[in-house]
Amino acid sequence: MNTFEGCPGSKMQDLRKKEETKGDESGKRESQLGQWPIQLHLVSPMAPYYQKRDVLLSADCVAYTVGDFHKDYLKGKSIAIACPKLDEGQDVYVEKIKSLIDDAKINTLTVMTMQVPCCAGLVAIARQALESAKRKIPIKSIVVSLQGDILSEDWV
Amino acid sequence: MEEYLNKGIKDVISRFPKVADILNEYNIGCVPCSVGSCLLKDIVQIHNLSSEDEEALMTKIAKVIYPDRGIKMPKIQRKTQPKSREIKYSPPIKKLVDEHALIKKWLVLIPAVINDLNIETEDGRKLIYDGVYFIRSYADKFHHAKEEDILFKYFDENLDIIKSMHEDHETGRGHVKAIIEALERKDKKALIEHLNGYKELLMGHIKKEDDILYPWMDRGLSLQQVGELFSKFNEAEEKIGKEVVERCERFVKGAEEKLLKKQKEEEKT
Ligand SMILES: [Fe+2]
Ligand SMILES: [Fe+2]
Repeated sequence: MNTFEGCPGSKMQDLRKKEETKGDESGKRESQLGQWPIQLHLVSPMAPYYQKRDVLLSADCVAYTVGDFHKDYLKGKSIAIACPKLDEGQDVYVEKIKSLIDDAKINTLTVMTMQVPCCAGLVAIARQALESAKRKIPIKSIVVSLQGDILSEDWV
Repeated sequence: MEEYLNKGIKDVISRFPKVADILNEYNIGCVPCSVGSCLLKDIVQIHNLSSEDEEALMTKIAKVIYPDRGIKMPKIQRKTQPKSREIKYSPPIKKLVDEHALIKKWLVLIPAVINDLNIETEDGRKLIYDGVYFIRSYADKFHHAKEEDILFKYFDENLDIIKSMHEDHETGRGHVKAIIEALERKDKKALIEHLNGYKELLMGHIKKEDDILYPWMDRGLSLQQVGELFSKFNEAEEKIGKEVVERCERFVKGAEEKLLKKQKEEEKT
């Protein structure tokens, strides 16, 4: 395999399953998304679906990785997505999250990121926003492996 | 066997006293508990033992209850599985644990306060009055009120573990009242008795909360409830006022410095 050995965040890995997956594939799962838009540059902290809610700030790749993302993490929450590695204008992100805390008075913030080092930038953005906000709220950081397992779940 | 799982722990211990030793072996402090009507099955849940420890504990208890039969205690169904022994508190619960740390700083000074007790002088009496102010405003009006009026409301208040916490708070209030009365009567013996009584009570109470009650509560709180609690605790802090909290923090720091300095001087001479 000709892998690119530089940044671990872009390193190629073949994660195809050797056997058929054993999970239950019967039935249909409903989407748990209750809003649009979702991208952090596009959303407004003033939107009614953020007011006093539990908000999930998810790195873009997370939803493709965690099999039960909708059922286990999105359900019951409002969401914003971003990529701390590739997105431009990340100072705007800090301001937006600060406004979610101070103006939308969100109840909690859960930050879901991938295990790759550059993804931790999203937690840093959230932390920076919390430090500059007047209100204080609980922030939880959940880190996901490339295989879709939860590696850690900690209060920031 | 199910019959005993659904019995109050005090009943089980009084019929089978050896169960008390087994519980002690696993650091489950039900034996001196004043209420003791928690059900045997709830105790295993609340203490969040690892599955190996739970199995060993239950097998030992079964052997005491049915010495002639090879009975195994059924596994207790729990809401969540224990992960690690290290306690990770949620942010609102962490606030309470941090408040305990300040309260304990004052409690550990009490033996030195007693050692140095002089109720004949204005200064000597002032230290006790200031200590009582700290207990009444910080430990009781602020901290215990957060527990009683906010946190405990998220749980079934008829549970014995919560009733027993309420009882401790009440007993503590009794000691504080007696401390003031003894001081006014200049009754040194009673004063020492209730200062010690308060210290012993609260030390044990805080340990129960930090090690057992809070982790158990944290396991049962949803994310939404964690956020709500955090903001309600912030409101309680605003209500009592920053000045009061800071004054209490200053009092403990000052008392610590004063008493430790005295202790060092005494050691020198
Ligand atoms: Fe308490
Ligand atoms: Fe407490």
